[in-house]
Amino acid sequence: MSANRRLAVTLGVIWVVASLVGLFIISVLPFPPAHASDTATSISNTLRLLTYLAWPIFSGVITGIVGSMLIGRRDPNARPASHDRIRGNPRLAGLWVGVIGFAVLLLAVFGTLTLTNEEAADALGLAGRGTSGTSVGSSPDNTDIEVQVIAQQWQFTYRYPAYGGMESAHLVLPADARVTFHITSLDVTHSFWFPAIGVKADAVPNNDNVFSTRVAVMGTYRIQCSELCGLWHGSMDDNSAQIVSGSDFSTWAKQQQAADAPVMQYLPPYSHTYVPLPAAYGT
Amino acid sequence: MATMTAAPQRRRLSHTVVQWGIVLGIVGAVVGFWVGALIGDRVVPADANSNNSNAALIVAYIGSAIGFLAGMGFFQYPIGRLLGRPRPTEADEAFLYGEDGGKRRYFRLNLDHKVIGVQYLVVILFFLFAGGLGAMFIRAELMATQPSFTSAESYLEIVGLHSVLMIFMASAAIIGPFGNYFVPIMIGSRGMAFPRLEALTFWLLPPAALILISSVLVGGFPTGWTGYAPLADEAVRGMDAYLVAFGLVGLSICLSGLNMIATVISQRAPGLRMTQLSVLVWGVFVTSFLGLLAAPVLLVVLVMEMLDRIGRATFFVPAAGGSPFLWENLFWFFGHPEVYIFIIPAFGLILEMLPVFARKPIWGYRVALGGMIGVGVLSFFVWQHHLFVSGIAPSLRPFYMFSTEAISIPTSIIFLVAIGTLWRCRARFTVPMLFVLGFMFNFLIGGFTGVFLSDVPTDFSLHASYFVQAHFHYTIMGAEVFALVGGITYYLPRITGHELNERVGKIQFWVMFIGFNGTFLSLLAVGILGMPRRVVSYDISLQGLNISASLFSFVLGASMLAFLVMLVYDTIVKPRLPRSANPWESLGNEWRLPHPIPVHNFTALPTDWRLPYDYDRDDTHPALRGAGAPFPGLAE
Repeated sequence: MSANRRLAVTLGVIWVVASLVGLFIISVLPFPPAHASDTATSISNTLRLLTYLAWPIFSGVITGIVGSMLIGRRDPNARPASHDRIRGNPRLAGLWVGVIGFAVLLLAVFGTLTLTNEEAADALGLAGRGTSGTSVGSSPDNTDIEVQVIAQQWQFTYRYPAYGGMESAHLVLPADARVTFHITSLDVTHSFWFPAIGVKADAVPNNDNVFSTRVAVMGTYRIQCSELCGLWHGSMDDNSAQIVSGSDFSTWAKQQQAADAPVMQYLPPYSHTYVPLPAAYGT
Repeated sequence: MATMTAAPQRRRLSHTVVQWGIVLGIVGAVVGFWVGALIGDRVVPADANSNNSNAALIVAYIGSAIGFLAGMGFFQYPIGRLLGRPRPTEADEAFLYGEDGGKRRYFRLNLDHKVIGVQYLVVILFFLFAGGLGAMFIRAELMATQPSFTSAESYLEIVGLHSVLMIFMASAAIIGPFGNYFVPIMIGSRGMAFPRLEALTFWLLPPAALILISSVLVGGFPTGWTGYAPLADEAVRGMDAYLVAFGLVGLSICLSGLNMIATVISQRAPGLRMTQLSVLVWGVFVTSFLGLLAAPVLLVVLVMEMLDRIGRATFFVPAAGGSPFLWENLFWFFGHPEVYIFIIPAFGLILEMLPVFARKPIWGYRVALGGMIGVGVLSFFVWQHHLFVSGIAPSLRPFYMFSTEAISIPTSIIFLVAIGTLWRCRARFTVPMLFVLGFMFNFLIGGFTGVFLSDVPTDFSLHASYFVQAHFHYTIMGAEVFALVGGITYYLPRITGHELNERVGKIQFWVMFIGFNGTFLSLLAVGILGMPRRVVSYDISLQGLNISASLFSFVLGASMLAFLVMLVYDTIVKPRLPRSANPWESLGNEWRLPHPIPVHNFTALPTDWRLPYDYDRDDTHPALRGAGAPFPGLAE
């Protein structure tokens, strides 16, 4: 067996062992975000899948670099050997490009299928297809509840169109319901990030960014802004977002609606976007 | 001609020193402020000039830059040519190229590309260490979950300064010092195609740095380096400094690209084919196209924002018909090629050093060139992956996901070339070699984290989190800065004739490597667990990992400081001479010139070109024991 082939086999064995050990570790690692919605579950699974795909290539390259250099390393002052003259190998390079290209194509096809498949897209919260074209008040199919997220420096406010457009300073959602978020902003670009349910969508003034998901697990969660929006960007968060049972939600909504009743006449009517008056930059 | 005049020609240029640049820069600032105030008061509507002095400040910054360049002597030649004055005398030319020698030539307009390379190196290191101070400040503050020793306002100012200074550093970290110094030598030329343009690309940086840092006097800028509108529209006056300073650097990137392309195409020695060039030259060449094509878009978008701030142009104000997406698209159309402007020259430098220390010819030279070209071309087709969660129509998401993932194909070729070159090699584990290997490891992590970000579903979770921050620090700090430090160690004997302490260098490398990976592995984890970027307060559950990142970052900072001390000590305090003129026993053409390299590099036309990686040739073996074989026909 030639020295080249012997080294290749040795590295191959190391690579297979390193890959298997790594794949096992990946299979037992917990992958965030928490599984509080089907979107979050889908993201966790995709993260894990990508890690499965990435690890063998990563460990292969590291094994290749370190192993080919250290195993059978020759004296730095030795005379050049015959294999030093090899200036390249077009077939090997072609194979390499082919393998990496195939992995990339696989990733892209898988990703594209996810994005275009209705069910998978539903799970990823893409059912609303970004900017909404629907008229005010109407819901995408099979949505149980619509919530509008209004970002401004430096807080989120939530409006519930099904409850007369009432406002709340904290997000409350019913469990086991399909929620459609309408995300907009009154001033600069913010981003609504609810890690536990895997929702992140920019809040852009004059734009209605739509994201929907099925929330599942009850609990108290954290929401934060994830696009730099000025001085108190870091404090633009809400530590008491709640996912509660359906009946608790109805109770809460009735109370909140009653509490809001006196101020409703001062609020602008529910709309997908708002132009604050007086606008910061003239009309 | 000079020989026709009896008396030696007198030098007509004299005032081209930094002092005059500073004086005229101040004059330009004052005049600019007055003109800008006039525009702000008389021309634009009163309520549009939102901070009352935006117009005055912007014109003052531009005026100071023009005044500085005038004081440095940049306009004497073009204006003289326009007015039909006689060409510069030979004495003028000798002065401009610093043929008198001495230290003063580094502090004035100098057309010698080697002097410009050294000037670049010093300014790049200034950016790196000034930006690094900001990083230390940020990490110290983030050990607490709430603002502790600083205010939210100054935290944001420091974040902005750190990011933009580092972007300035990264834009020219390899191409500035090593590209300018070595490209003409490696292609057998007596200089650049446009020496004055080349000097201009450097002298745009000092005013840019001063203007940027001066932003703290007027409240800093709250947007980070991305300058997102409409936040930038409502920002305090420091935003104006960002716009002008970034514009000057954008101009520098663009002109540098123009000069490098022209140089590599037109200034090669006769008989030297494109396929015989060093990989470093190819890295610079490919990058130059990116700079030339992408930087003008940055200039345009910055001018639009200036008009927004001066005269209520409302390009980016939605309430008046503008669009924040316009800024995001135009900015990232520049911004994504920009990050490959950082890394492609580093690929070139790394692959240039690898064969020297592997003692093997580079494996797959043409494949490597294909990889760099592929990365360069694809870099123009990926920018919307920064907008996956922005709310724009999602129909193009699959395309940008695919194009972004496709970049890993040409990038992976760099790793294939590295493995091929290292295959059963005669490795010498010198300090530059350690940095080459550190680059490979860090860039591999940077690349793989990039795949996670390119995938739309996972990007919903990772976008704009610390995962992104750690990802691009792996590529910029972990890869490009590692290449920079390794490159300095490798080329110092050639540039200044000094050598860095090898034992200290090895310790420094390992401390830097561990400090770097400790910091940014912690931050990758923090990002996955849900910490957004650029926040001064965060959830208590993430404090442990943040403290870990901070402590490792202080180790990293200490190692960088140690490098600086070593650099100053071994070159200035106690100059340390290398074992030989070619201590690495490199076959690179740049090592075949005498030391110090003459002002115009070559006294005779260099011939006998070959790909400088022939470490397999038995007949050259004895020659490798000493300096590389000097060019035949050259003096000495």
